[in-house]
Amino acid sequence: MKSRLLVFASILSFVFLLQPERLFAEPGARDRAGDDEVCLGCHADRSLTISFEGGGSASVYVNEKELKGSIHKILSCTACHTGFSSADHPRRKFKDRREYSLLASEGCRNCHPETQIRTKSIHLSIINGKGAKPVCVDCHGSHTVRKIAGGKSFVSETHYCLNCHSHELTVAFRDGEQMRFKVDAAELAASVHGKLGCSDCHFGFSMEQHLVRNFKTKRDYSIAAIETCRRCHFDKYIKTLDSIHYTVLSQGNLTAPVCTDCHGAHSISGAVQEKVNIARRCQKCHPAIYDIYARSVHGSALFSGQSTEVPVCVDCHNSHNIMDPRTFDYREKVPEICGGCHANREIMAKYGLSTEVVNTYLQDFHGITLKFYKRERKLLEADLRHGVKPIAVCTDCHGIHDIMKTSAPNASLVKANLVKRCQKCHPGATENFPESWMSHYKPTLSNAPLVFLINLLYKIFIPFMIFGLVLQILLHIWRYAVNR
Amino acid sequence: MSSNIEKSEKKIRRFHPFRIMEHYMAIITFGLLATTGLSQRFHEFELSQWIIMNLGGITCVRLIHRYTGLVFTAAILLHVLVAVIGLTLRNWPASMVITKKDFTDAIDNLKYYFGVTNRPSLCDRYDYKQKFEYWGVVVGGILMIMTGLTLWFPTVVARHLPGELIPAAKAAHTNEALLAFLVIIIWHIYNSVFSPEVFPLDTSILVSGHVSRERMVHEHPVELARIEGVSLEEITARDGDGEEAFEILNGKKETPPN
Repeated sequence: MKSRLLVFASILSFVFLLQPERLFAEPGARDRAGDDEVCLGCHADRSLTISFEGGGSASVYVNEKELKGSIHKILSCTACHTGFSSADHPRRKFKDRREYSLLASEGCRNCHPETQIRTKSIHLSIINGKGAKPVCVDCHGSHTVRKIAGGKSFVSETHYCLNCHSHELTVAFRDGEQMRFKVDAAELAASVHGKLGCSDCHFGFSMEQHLVRNFKTKRDYSIAAIETCRRCHFDKYIKTLDSIHYTVLSQGNLTAPVCTDCHGAHSISGAVQEKVNIARRCQKCHPAIYDIYARSVHGSALFSGQSTEVPVCVDCHNSHNIMDPRTFDYREKVPEICGGCHANREIMAKYGLSTEVVNTYLQDFHGITLKFYKRERKLLEADLRHGVKPIAVCTDCHGIHDIMKTSAPNASLVKANLVKRCQKCHPGATENFPESWMSHYKPTLSNAPLVFLINLLYKIFIPFMIFGLVLQILLHIWRYAVNR
Repeated sequence: MSSNIEKSEKKIRRFHPFRIMEHYMAIITFGLLATTGLSQRFHEFELSQWIIMNLGGITCVRLIHRYTGLVFTAAILLHVLVAVIGLTLRNWPASMVITKKDFTDAIDNLKYYFGVTNRPSLCDRYDYKQKFEYWGVVVGGILMIMTGLTLWFPTVVARHLPGELIPAAKAAHTNEALLAFLVIIIWHIYNSVFSPEVFPLDTSILVSGHVSRERMVHEHPVELARIEGVSLEEITARDGDGEEAFEILNGKKETPPN
């Protein structure tokens, strides 16, 4: 520490010793060019550094060519470096580089007063923001100072933007709420959009242009971001227009999620993700349902790692065109949704489940009714005007998010629950009533002997009867023909 | 000869207007029930779906089916009531009761068809085919009413009886319906429309309630003999018209056996 200071002091004294005539020149004789010459006499030395008290050092070398190329080429050194002159070189001590930069930036304010600085929104957000703030030289450079958009050479647009946005920038909205505008470069690079330039998403912004926008709230800003995503993901955008989230949003509930609420912004990752994470996205707004789901046969299998095939939220609700599950449209889709897996032999075989469940439902009273309700609503455009009760679909008996195994050890409980379910549509249903439901099984001699025998009887009797009658008719005609 | 012509053109009243009305009622209710019921059973057929959609949707179709069922039930009950009153108080002959003769008639007729005998069986007021259809409608109808009500009020039935009766009732209802429909479409329509003896249409129960004496001779000779107060032999053998009728029926002149 002390040795460094010693080196610094010795360099300085060495400089003074070498050029005494400059140091002790007449004060009246100084002119701009002369001043600058004096300064550059030392500062043109590339090895010239300043050491800080807290350790570290910084170059105090000034590239004359760059200085002359900068917008400040008409200024003399002392115009910015107040307190310095060809006659006076005060010795200053800095704790670290940051303190040094801060003081250096103070010089800017001689010509660029606070009022001028504040006219730029980008400056405002820096000034009003929290955390470590960049100072003038961080963005504009020092001796190379140019218009921010014009001079510096950036390897990419991203590099250009991150020049500011890697700092703790914040912006204040009209309602006073602040938002961090810091972009984590590593996160961005790792995201699925890592290869895109900033302006690919941030339309209207570029190295030449930095829009000044005026949002009332942070939420307004997030919602406006839909437009950003829409430009590339138009198919998904169209789907969202059919979603409950969009409906709610358009009705004025601004808390309804938009693209970035589920996908994040700069950290956006690809669509193929761990199913668990998908569920957790929804959990943010639907924690109660998430908890119920987590205890269901599907959820528990997922979270315990037993199966990754089980459905998560988006498998039933879709990801972008999330329907209002309370509508008839959705209700009518339920057997189809469940059937997607439960009618698939390949999948069900792994779990030892029957694929007959969907078909037996569709061929039964409820399934047939549902099929016609669907058609009626399409063809007759009648919104079930004759006081129709919604017909039972899978979820009415099996539950929605709390779907359990039907072969649970407490089978009597299952039956008791079933009675309750039946009673919703069949008031007056007693405990015998669920027996009328053949539990998705085709009638056999063992599980429904009466039904099986009646069907068998008619299966024999009808062809027998019809064959006999047709034979009689043919004989009658034949006899008539023979007699003629 | 003039008396023969008179006799051959003579119409014999066979059905009371009440029976004609009952038959119309049966046509309408059966037609509606079959249409609305079978289109539910065969719901996958395009025609069924067309029917259901054009009758105002599944709920409407079910309501039509149930209320038509009620009318059918009322008609059956009225029929049974009239039959009971007629048989007990009015001394009607129990002409619909199935007797041993019906079985022998059936066998005789088959023999005739196969050419073993050269004369069809001689039947009374109702032949065995008609009795078969009649009892089919009455017994089948009652079965349909019972099972239909079970399906209409499943919770009431399950309150007192095992729940399995409901799918069983459905199985019986839908199978019996198919059976009845096929019997009507094949057997009844043949006998009352396409049979060469009645073609193009048996008008006895549809229009007038009368049939010609000639038809009575070969279809219900026993009843005709009773009406005319003569012996069966007289109708079948000695009655000129009868003989002529046989010639017509057999397609050749032939002396009927004694």
